[in-house]
Amino acid sequence: VSGRVTDAQGKAVPFASVTVKGTSVGVAADENGNFTIEAAPNSTLVFSAAGYQAAEVNIKNQSTVSASLSAQSSLNEVVVTALGIRRTRNQTPYAAQQVTGEEVSKTRNANFVQNLSGKVAGLDIRQTNTMGGSTNVIIRGTKSITGNNQALFVVDGVPYSNSNTNTANQRTGRGGYDYGNAAADINPDDIESVTVLKGAAASALYGSQGSNGVILITTKKNARGLGITVNSGVTVGKVDKSTFATYQKQYGAGYGKFYGPDEDKWFNEADVNGDGVVDLVAPFHEDASYGAKFDPNLMVYQWDAFDPTSPYFGKARPWVAAANDPTTFFQTPVSSNQSVFIDGGSDRGSFKLGYTRNDDKGILPNSKISKNLLNFGGTYNITPKLTAGATINFTNINGLGRYGTGYDDKNLMTNFRQWWEVNVDVQEQKDAYFRNRDNTTWNWKSANRLIANFWDNPYFSRYENYESDSRNRYFGVANLNFKPVEWLNIMGRASHDGYNELQEERQAVGSVTTSSYSRFNNAFSETNFDLIANMDKNITTDINFKALLGGTLNKRHNESIRAVTNGGLIVPRVYALSNSLNTPNAPVEFDGRREVHSLYAGATFTWREMITLDGTIRRDQSSTLPKDNNTYYYPSVSAGFTFSKLLPSATWLSYGKLRANYARVGNDAPVYSVYDSYVGIAPFGGNPQGSVAGTKNNPNLMPELTGSFEAGVEMAFLKNRIGFDMSYYRSKTDDLITPVILSTATGYNSKFLNAGSIENKGIEVSVNGTPVKTSDFSWNINVNWSKNRNKVLELFEGAENLVLADFQAGVTLNASLGQPYGTIRGSNYVYKNGEKVVSQTSGRYVLSPTSNEVIGNANPDWVGGINNSFRYKNLSLSFLVDTKQGGDIFSLDMYYGMGTGLYPETVALNDLGNPSRNTIAEGGGIILPGVDADGKPNAKRRSNSEGTLGYRQPTAGFVYDASYIKLREAIISYSLPKSLVSKLNPFKGIDLSLIGRNLWIIDKHIPYADPEETISSGNLQGYQSGAYPTTRTFTFNAKFRF
Amino acid sequence: LNVDPKNPAILPSSAFFTNAQRSLSNTLTSSNVNLNIFRLIVQHWQETQYPEESQYDLATREINDNTWNALYRDVIRDLREAKALIPGDVKDADVQKNRLAVTEVMEVYTWYYLVTTYGNIPYSEALDIEKPFPKYDDAKTIYNDLLTRLDAAIGNIKTGAGGFGSADLIYNGDMTKWKKFANSFKVKMAMTIADDDAAKAKTLVEAAVASGVFTSNADNATLVYQNVQPNTNPIWVDLVNSGRDDFVAASTFIDSLLAHNDPRIDNFFTADPTGGYSGAEPGVQSAYEPNSHVNPNITKPEFPGLLLDYAETELFLAEAAQRGFNVGGTAVSHYNAGVTASIEYWGGTAAEAAAYLAQPGVAYNPANWKKSIGVQKWIALYNRGWDAWIEWRRLDYPQLEPAHDALSDMPVRFPYPVNEQNVNRVNFEAAAEAIGGDDVATKLWWDKF
Repeated sequence: VSGRVTDAQGKAVPFASVTVKGTSVGVAADENGNFTIEAAPNSTLVFSAAGYQAAEVNIKNQSTVSASLSAQSSLNEVVVTALGIRRTRNQTPYAAQQVTGEEVSKTRNANFVQNLSGKVAGLDIRQTNTMGGSTNVIIRGTKSITGNNQALFVVDGVPYSNSNTNTANQRTGRGGYDYGNAAADINPDDIESVTVLKGAAASALYGSQGSNGVILITTKKNARGLGITVNSGVTVGKVDKSTFATYQKQYGAGYGKFYGPDEDKWFNEADVNGDGVVDLVAPFHEDASYGAKFDPNLMVYQWDAFDPTSPYFGKARPWVAAANDPTTFFQTPVSSNQSVFIDGGSDRGSFKLGYTRNDDKGILPNSKISKNLLNFGGTYNITPKLTAGATINFTNINGLGRYGTGYDDKNLMTNFRQWWEVNVDVQEQKDAYFRNRDNTTWNWKSANRLIANFWDNPYFSRYENYESDSRNRYFGVANLNFKPVEWLNIMGRASHDGYNELQEERQAVGSVTTSSYSRFNNAFSETNFDLIANMDKNITTDINFKALLGGTLNKRHNESIRAVTNGGLIVPRVYALSNSLNTPNAPVEFDGRREVHSLYAGATFTWREMITLDGTIRRDQSSTLPKDNNTYYYPSVSAGFTFSKLLPSATWLSYGKLRANYARVGNDAPVYSVYDSYVGIAPFGGNPQGSVAGTKNNPNLMPELTGSFEAGVEMAFLKNRIGFDMSYYRSKTDDLITPVILSTATGYNSKFLNAGSIENKGIEVSVNGTPVKTSDFSWNINVNWSKNRNKVLELFEGAENLVLADFQAGVTLNASLGQPYGTIRGSNYVYKNGEKVVSQTSGRYVLSPTSNEVIGNANPDWVGGINNSFRYKNLSLSFLVDTKQGGDIFSLDMYYGMGTGLYPETVALNDLGNPSRNTIAEGGGIILPGVDADGKPNAKRRSNSEGTLGYRQPTAGFVYDASYIKLREAIISYSLPKSLVSKLNPFKGIDLSLIGRNLWIIDKHIPYADPEETISSGNLQGYQSGAYPTTRTFTFNAKFRF
Repeated sequence: LNVDPKNPAILPSSAFFTNAQRSLSNTLTSSNVNLNIFRLIVQHWQETQYPEESQYDLATREINDNTWNALYRDVIRDLREAKALIPGDVKDADVQKNRLAVTEVMEVYTWYYLVTTYGNIPYSEALDIEKPFPKYDDAKTIYNDLLTRLDAAIGNIKTGAGGFGSADLIYNGDMTKWKKFANSFKVKMAMTIADDDAAKAKTLVEAAVASGVFTSNADNATLVYQNVQPNTNPIWVDLVNSGRDDFVAASTFIDSLLAHNDPRIDNFFTADPTGGYSGAEPGVQSAYEPNSHVNPNITKPEFPGLLLDYAETELFLAEAAQRGFNVGGTAVSHYNAGVTASIEYWGGTAAEAAAYLAQPGVAYNPANWKKSIGVQKWIALYNRGWDAWIEWRRLDYPQLEPAHDALSDMPVRFPYPVNEQNVNRVNFEAAAEAIGGDDVATKLWWDKF
């Protein structure tokens, strides 16, 4: 019997599994949905495929049968696993959770990685709120102390670089732009499915690159016939006000009463209008709001009194809070997403061609990113046994005005959340910039020195101190498949992933910092050559044997050059190195190459589709390790037992499987960590200068190894109406290759060593249910939950703590012995009988004598997501709620913002019912809750002045619970009825949808910010400085199929 | 494939020496609030809006860590590298010996600041990558060893032969000057421990003077910076290039200068808007404009860093004479020479110096010599806050009041770095106990009063 498996729209369903009911006979359809199977007349064929509900068809006496499968989002049947191997569920003895392409592309978000949040158990996604910012992707916890912990992205069996080029300063919150991760180059419309391989056994065949788990992307395969899909969408956004500052409106600019000639007034004094009477001048050179109480009768000369083009030039204005606070700075982001995807095929071959254009405008003025994604793929059947295929993807991304991050004058959130004067009207700054096109700032140094003190006019900053960037990326794969016999497939494949990027940063003449221009050219390339033989044969009627033998040659090359002007620019607005005031110092160059040679083999036995035994071994040889230690092996063994096969009579049990596996995965060293080299420094008057590098390299490094064990159970009940998949895992990474921080009395910061071990253990559960299912109405629920416990078991001999990052405010992120990775340390309160001790001289909290007290932990306790989807006839509604519970975050925004008097808490009434900002003599001041050194309740009243509620307190006071519950996405879509569409030639289908993302933060604990907001992807989490607000987005999309 | 093609594996020894000299001068000269805040502690300067460092907040900006790292990692490590490479680099035996001696003097000089700032520190096990967590040695033992090393280095200098040449940013390879420097520094080291071991101080000072110390401002150890980054004076970076208005004169210092019509005041500071000189009260938030600011001459990119000078040498000799050491001349003559040298260094004249010295509050007072010398050191060591701090701790003059709203007592040492607490905990704790507590108020062995 032969036939074809299609979906409800008549498109081929590739690789469906076809079995003869009641027997063990089964085959897989090919990628065009075609199959041939031996079956007796009148037997029933069972069809199943990833993302579809199983269907049964009685073949009667026909020799051709076609089956139409309807889509389903519950437990999947065929899973794409390592190296593109497709496995039926029974034959997959490890955790591999699959998400359909539809699921990740339907929100029309340009970065599909963010769409995985909450959809996969054990996957921790953390995204930044900057436009085009990076996304942190961690599977089953942090495994390496200072190395890369990001999951590996693999597209159609080939590694796809997801690096980010953010600088060390950017990642530690010292400023710089977040240029995003390279995985955002993948076209969501080209994604057929995403499989997350979580454990080492599943990803062992990817070698060291896969040691952090793998996000496996299968792109769309070509179907028979011609299909054209057009998507057109537009997105508008709005800032979620709960994630931005709320300002107090009672006190204006200043730090206290120390202005004027005698340093004892709230205001500066000068005879501005020349009438011989001394006038009040606002202390606009400050960037705090601990100044004079607002009083509309008080006339004060403000910054605009010194701007000759201002309507208030030379005029005093009432001393009041600004009508337009910084919330009015944000503009409505609008994005457009247009895509067309054409695919077609015949017996001889197939092709696909896709183009997506994305234009995003950010919430900040002068910010946009445009993306062009072009995908082409084709296959040709040269002979029935030989197939050639190739894909080429081109991505072009252009960014302009990405948001500054961290503690920096180019991150206006630092300005608005930490250092601001609430009397400054943002819209008046806007007018001033557009009137003058110069840095007419609210923050003049003084009435006599009209230059910026700490902060530029925010509009000047956006329009003049901007970055721009571009990245062109080519990702191409060519392969040849030879199938000499039915059970053997030999594949040769060559692939190249390469991108060139340019990042230019500008600091205009007239800015608060020295004008400059810098450019960073970065080129990355990765080339893979694979030769893989796969066999799949039923040795007996009961035993299926699969085997794999392969080799890969992997080469990676990263080359960059960063150059910057020296001492300022000569001509304003000319951004060229040649416009440097002084001779620029030599640019910083980097040239890193690495090569890994791999051999691997695997074997799988399946008995009666019930018991599966699987073993793999891989040998890697890496150039980054010393010659003597550069080869390492890693084995994996797995077993699966589909016990439901033993219970055919239990009709309530649709499916039941137990699985267990153990694997060891090795990892090599970062490039250039073996041999020492010096650091050359610009010469001093012709005399060369050099220094010993801060990190001591190590010629005796060995590979680091992660051993991991996993056990799981999958069950489905009541005709697959409800099912769950649960895994327990434990992994331990030993001999971590780490630049261990040493006592700097050694003359070094750190030394590369094989030091320490980290353990991760956890539980993952995903549950699928279909509470209601009728032909017209269905309701599906999908729940994902995971909990990871991480512990640093060992550090370098004698070491108890390893500092990962040193942030502003003396807060550090650490790997501490016996603690979870990501311990936040800083200064703490001193406690007496559980109460905070207050100094009886200053009235402030006593700070712990050291700054290395544990004050938090960046790891969440658990993460989860619930997706509900309802379908009534052609109308469907789905919404995803995701949550992260536990984990801490330190907020530099609150640490400074509370200290500079921006927030309503800083103007609260005191215990006497008086304004706390009044002097103590006037009944003001505050009594901090706590005790004195003897444990008696604190009665010491101190003035509520600069710093008191902020940075004069222990840093522990600004560590917040980072838990959240978010309504992440909600989608309503409507498919025009077939009856209507069929009349609308040439359309085959029209779907309209309305998509909302980040709609509502249902619960959070950090004030005025999004707990998920972070500075960059990478290991350094748990810290916010200049956090961007969340943007709620609403998208309208129309999808046309021809 | 494993060798970094963009960074050298070989460099001449002089490259490390030059870089170490510049790093050392940067660390001593810097006014960066993350690194060198001694000008604030000794109340030469005062901060404007953010007086945290003036109030001795060392922790938030990890100033104690940064100071430690700058000296161990950025100076001594590179000097050690230079020493290791010199024998292979330099053929001429005398030049080789001279270069090693100069490098050794520079290293001893650097250790002096570490040991007088923290107390017990890693020394015998320091700078050894095989000892990642070095033990701390007793400060006095280290100090005595440094003195022995300094003597040996002086003995190895051959004034007729060459040194580092132009790679020597301080003396351009002039070994005669280096010998004077080493001896003058020996006087400084000896006088630092005069309260603890007067006999040893006497022997050392007398030997140094006999061997030859600084005799004029021409001998001063200065490093003249360039006007292009990264080789500029760090004060220019902090005060001018940054565009910030963080510092004004401290009232304590201004009042003291005004009290005796100090001719250096206009070299130190700018006039305030009224034409006079005014400073802000230490620790109190203050406005920038009404106060006096750092003189623009000092904030020029090429303004020299000063490592050791004739004025302080003369003031040390005045004290030595007062203590009865045989250094030639009298306490008064050395005192007057020191004050005059300082005034001339800053641009004043001998006549101005004489008029200044003639005033009752300025003229040398043998009855309270600690006050006379202490106050003049405090003034002469303007812009050299670290040295001013060491001398203030030792001489206890001028009698400074702690800053307003201070977080602690006035520091008489630095607490150990947070990194040491985190990484080298066992040795850190032993050291903290040995010196009597890791606190800013713990007095070091030579600080007797």
